[in-house]
Amino acid sequence: MSSPTSDQWRQWRDEGVLSLPGAIGGQSLRDLQHAFDTAAAPARPEWLEAVAAGTRPAAFFDIPTPLAADPMFLDLVDHRGWYGHLQAFTEGRVTFIKTQFRTVPPSPLSYVGWHFDVPRSNPLHLKVQIYLDDVSHDEGAFAYVPGSHLQDSGPYPLVAQLDAMPGHRVCEGDAGTAILFNSYGLHTSMVNRSRRTRRSIILIYEVGTAATFDPDDFAAFADRCTTAERRQLFRLEPRPEPDTVSA
Amino acid sequence: MNDEDQNPRRDVAAGDISDSRHRTSVDQNSPSTPPSTPKIDAHLHVFAKASTEFPRQVSDHLPAEREAPVELFLERMQTHGIDGAVLVQIGGTSFEHHAYLLRCLREYPDRFLGIGLVPPDCDDPGAHIDRLADASDGRIIGMRLGTLGGPADPFEAVDVRGLPIHRIWEHAAKKDYVIWLYPRAVDAHVVPHLFEAFPQVRVVFNHLMVCPGPKFWWDDKGRPQADVPMPPETRYSTMGLKIGRILNNTRGHYPYPNVCVMLSGHYAFSKQPYPYADLDGWQQSLLMVFGCERLMWASDFPWIDTDPGYGELVALPGHTFPDLSSEERTQLMGRTAARFLRFPALCDKTGWLTPP
Repeated sequence: MSSPTSDQWRQWRDEGVLSLPGAIGGQSLRDLQHAFDTAAAPARPEWLEAVAAGTRPAAFFDIPTPLAADPMFLDLVDHRGWYGHLQAFTEGRVTFIKTQFRTVPPSPLSYVGWHFDVPRSNPLHLKVQIYLDDVSHDEGAFAYVPGSHLQDSGPYPLVAQLDAMPGHRVCEGDAGTAILFNSYGLHTSMVNRSRRTRRSIILIYEVGTAATFDPDDFAAFADRCTTAERRQLFRLEPRPEPDTVSA
Repeated sequence: MNDEDQNPRRDVAAGDISDSRHRTSVDQNSPSTPPSTPKIDAHLHVFAKASTEFPRQVSDHLPAEREAPVELFLERMQTHGIDGAVLVQIGGTSFEHHAYLLRCLREYPDRFLGIGLVPPDCDDPGAHIDRLADASDGRIIGMRLGTLGGPADPFEAVDVRGLPIHRIWEHAAKKDYVIWLYPRAVDAHVVPHLFEAFPQVRVVFNHLMVCPGPKFWWDDKGRPQADVPMPPETRYSTMGLKIGRILNNTRGHYPYPNVCVMLSGHYAFSKQPYPYADLDGWQQSLLMVFGCERLMWASDFPWIDTDPGYGELVALPGHTFPDLSSEERTQLMGRTAARFLRFPALCDKTGWLTPP
């Protein structure tokens, strides 16, 4: 299981983002890429119809209900390549919210500008983005403004070009790189100026609270949640309150 | 004329109004002193009953006897203090089909500018639009485009030069025509490729930047209706900024400075009656991204003339944006259109057309 180094702790605390190159690799990565494509293929025709109808975005394609599409996908949620980091950064209180298995086609315009995902009144919200393709600066790479997750950060300007955001960092990486980030911070997907699509998987987590506890969300996967940790991660059971843990 | 002359490459943001092609003397149709706060209706249709003089295509929703005469619209202008308007061709794409539009532009040269249509099978679209521009003494300033013809699969590479409408955009760049853009949903992902390839072309994105799907119909009030989710899913391709439950999270400005958006067509997209409150959130996002210096109010007359009525359309921005400053309201209601489209009769020597 992964575990943050002291330098990664510093990055997480001060910058709100860190890359884990090779978090998944070798045959596991190849199997994941293959499973991703296999799951995507049958859903593409319906997506194309919806794009033409104006009812789904053309700017990205998400595999519908991906966790049900292949058994290996569920295991990504607590994959040893990053899950130890998530547990550490949330003091053992991480819960899984949802996932996006996303393909981004080339376009001169990014589908999303600089944004944060949740206000700071929200419990700590984290994401892991796993590249399934090698992603360079102009291939739709994830980018983050280090330190923007902090309470006293900013203000940040409104920019017309993504790369005009002061202090931002573009997270290039090979396939298998996982990027962890604090969703309070400003982030975006840079423009994909290549001629190929960019595949990635985004796993979304939050520190468990009563507000997000919902045993119905992942009830369909209850048979694969056989440990207390997994049942709490998938919100089938509530995370014990911190004082209960210490007691 | 050399390429430099033919391709002025004006940046609208610089407020260049030096286009002599559009400069005309003020005649009896225009106020003796141009209004400092012009009100301009940036998009509407007028059409006559189908006739030999004014031939047009007829259909179930535009039968031969239906008409929306310019005189009726002039009454609306008079009643509601509208100084100018953009008449958008309807009823056919051939030169002959433009007869009524040309007549209106000739008869009221300082009230109106025009937008033409290009036949989809036109061998020489540039010559077609040049002919319209010449016949209107330069008052047909551009053409409306719907179908862009890109690959239906967004995963396929977009070759702008291979698009069937490439010649039109190229000609617009060369002759400084305005593209009046109302793309279908299937083409939404092609739009930024064109903006990128032709940054010098002025574009007015029609009707709230919506790219509708194929579900169109006409309601019992004779109004076109489009079944689209709002905010539009096509925004991810055309606007590209985060919008959603956190309004202040729409953090950015539009990267293409020569693109404006028209606030119109609410009746066709809203699921609610006037003042179409379900569209407020999306319009607030457009305001944040474009600002009033790049937004244009329009009525889409005559479709709104009965429900909710022209006066209600004039008042609509006050409902949608109650907190606009006086300057912003002035821009939205006409100054942006006057500057961006270079209304000849609404330009004076004091330079009010230049951005503040």
